[in-house]
Amino acid sequence: MNPSRRSSAHVATLLPFLVAATLQGGLLAQSPQTTQDLLVTCASLVVAPDTAITPGVMLVRDGKVAQLGNEIPEEARARAKVCAFDGATIVPGFVLAHSTLGQEQDLAERAVALTPDLLAAEAFDPAGLVLRHLPEHGFTSCVLSPSSTNVAGGIAALVEPGKVDARSLGSLRIAETYAKFSLIAAARNPERQPTSLMGAMDLLRNAFQDAKTGQLTGSEGAAFTAVARGERRAVVHADTRAEILAALTLAKELGIEPVIAGAAEACDCLAELAAARAAVILPPMQPEQRDEQLMLPARLEQAAILFCFAGSPALARSSAALAVQNGCSKKAALAALTRTPAALCAAETTHGSLRRGCDADFVVFDGDPLDLSSQQLAVYGDGVLLFGTAGTSTDKLADKRASLQKETL
Amino acid sequence: MLRRALPFVVLALSAVAQDAPVVYRGAQLWPGDGAPIADAVLVIQNGRVQNVGGKSTTIPDGARIVECAGAVITPGLIDAAWAGPVPVADANEQSTEITPSLHVLDNLDPQHPAFARVRNTGVTTVHLMPGTRSVMGGLSAVLQTWASDPTSMVLRDEATLRLVLGAEPSMGNRAIRGGSVDSIYYRRPTTRMGVIWSARRAFFDAKEQIAETQGGQKTTRTAQEQRDLSVLARVLQGTLPLVTTARSEQDLRTALRLAAEFGYTPVIDEAQDAYMVVDELQKSRVVVMVAAPSANAVGGPAGQDGAEPRYSTLKKLQDAGVPFVITTGTNQNAVDLVREAMFAHRFGLTREQALAAVTTQPAALLAIQDRKGRLAAGMDADFVVWSTDPFDPASTPTTVVIRGTDTTQKP
Repeated sequence: MNPSRRSSAHVATLLPFLVAATLQGGLLAQSPQTTQDLLVTCASLVVAPDTAITPGVMLVRDGKVAQLGNEIPEEARARAKVCAFDGATIVPGFVLAHSTLGQEQDLAERAVALTPDLLAAEAFDPAGLVLRHLPEHGFTSCVLSPSSTNVAGGIAALVEPGKVDARSLGSLRIAETYAKFSLIAAARNPERQPTSLMGAMDLLRNAFQDAKTGQLTGSEGAAFTAVARGERRAVVHADTRAEILAALTLAKELGIEPVIAGAAEACDCLAELAAARAAVILPPMQPEQRDEQLMLPARLEQAAILFCFAGSPALARSSAALAVQNGCSKKAALAALTRTPAALCAAETTHGSLRRGCDADFVVFDGDPLDLSSQQLAVYGDGVLLFGTAGTSTDKLADKRASLQKETL
Repeated sequence: MLRRALPFVVLALSAVAQDAPVVYRGAQLWPGDGAPIADAVLVIQNGRVQNVGGKSTTIPDGARIVECAGAVITPGLIDAAWAGPVPVADANEQSTEITPSLHVLDNLDPQHPAFARVRNTGVTTVHLMPGTRSVMGGLSAVLQTWASDPTSMVLRDEATLRLVLGAEPSMGNRAIRGGSVDSIYYRRPTTRMGVIWSARRAFFDAKEQIAETQGGQKTTRTAQEQRDLSVLARVLQGTLPLVTTARSEQDLRTALRLAAEFGYTPVIDEAQDAYMVVDELQKSRVVVMVAAPSANAVGGPAGQDGAEPRYSTLKKLQDAGVPFVITTGTNQNAVDLVREAMFAHRFGLTREQALAAVTTQPAALLAIQDRKGRLAAGMDADFVVWSTDPFDPASTPTTVVIRGTDTTQKP
């Protein structure tokens, strides 16, 4: 079965669950429906890490960014409900590139090391506590990833928190994003194959080879084939130099550009990472870390290696701020929270920026988002307030209707 | 981490900058395969030895001179069985006993501090094998202990296959004593004879696969089995050396018996009891890698194999004409490779024989003799400048050069 057919099969498997959940409160992303436009205004609208509109104006229609700045016609401005954040800076909603959302046990099928066709989406809990609290930290979407305890753990999903209130159910945005692999010590289980790094490498190498020659078939074979053909990105959890170099070696053999998650010793492998055109998902940074860790984002940027942050959502913004304090550009640090993780999970056309057609996921700060003294005022997902206080609302259309009604009376 | 990376950066820069010839002058030079040269001149350029000779040797124009009066220069030492930087858990794939297609290179951390430590004892080339907890652990690699980038460290991948005899591979395995079978360690072998049974069955299957292939028969084996057996087939066909780790007298005899049974010529590794089977080793025309000849006991779990090392082993092998190399091996009681050679010299070998056992002989064994092990024109410029006679206990390496680059890490 080819990957696309398999993908359909998985969606079909999920469908009854999704429909039921939708009936209960909107698990699926809401289908487009015509609602009143929202005109969001602010001092500075960061459309993407390298593009800002000042003063910022954005027209949101049906949960998507419809138009920006001067391109918004007067008529549309007049009909829209205005949501004004005076003096504020708006940036794209943050995207968490890698998380188990507190569901580690559900995402670790430990019995065997190779489970490449498992879907993290099947374990998604739309009422999960971690998911519900994501907006508090500026996150409007998150990748739910298989655990790192399997060498080939399965396929990650992009999920979003509920859109109505804090108790509403989250939604599954993209059922299949990247394929998750792991070479860390936790994947080398002493009670099942493989127990060693070379054993893990041998398993993966042979699985890819067997999928290529048709000796590994079915959904497992299709999952490996999709990665080998570059149709699905591979995220490999690797911490030590040996693990990172092993992951890069395998990627080179397959001819793919990998994403290295964890990458604790990436600072010793910069040349190899750059040569492999790899990207890196870093754990959160903390001020007490050693200099080489604090300077890693800046060194990755210098080496033209894409990076983003994962781990605890509460530490993501402070990680980006620490990266800036230690030599990283603000553009790269903001990209690490927005555009880069969206790109790593193949969602860059809808997430990680506020260009036309993107989801209207944004975070409002009363200053520079990478200055930790700036307050996070509000978080919107698909144009709906998820957290914080809505902007000053003026509805010219409603006001006019009220005025006309008053005159009639 | 910058601090850790800095030596690599500096060394890489010095390697790039070293286009002008460099002359090491005034030392006593032991070329590895001939008589010592007094007041020697060693000319290196672009990572290779350009010329070597006495004090009348022509010094190229523009050469940088390094005065080495009073020092001794030897080829860089080669440890043909280095336990290395790989943790035990990763050096051994414990899920099954026969894993001949695994690559130890997949475990490699080229910046592991163990490389710097061993380099600073004068070792410039190592042979890294899988661990000794599996019957057949996988394929080895020959590495330089320094290079400007990780890829250049690798001289040979798939250099040898390791077979381990004795009790060590069976340790941890256990018989089922009722209840549910819920562990990968409920398996054979649990005994010394079980270890041999595993190896013999693997070779038998490999012979069958060769016959099937030659007969054009369709195989019923899985892809993984075919991969593993194809490695063993290379051993049986003589294209891949098999290093057989055997410590005690009975394991040494078994190693030779297995080799005779399946028609291959093994390299015997560890070989603490080799002094008991000198005649058999000689008749079998094998090369012996004697681990830690300075140790009078085998440390660690392998100590249960029952080997009883003797200081006279190397002298007996030498007198019998059995080719051998000296290694540090897996014995926890091993000391630096140069000290092992020093002990060998103390207990009967000449300086030349002891030096050859850690330079030219391992180079030939590992099939890198056209680049490593000697100091002669055209060879890689791998050498060590010792403060004095390297077989003097007080001697230290003052400079360790690998492919023309001074890799010495001075405090």
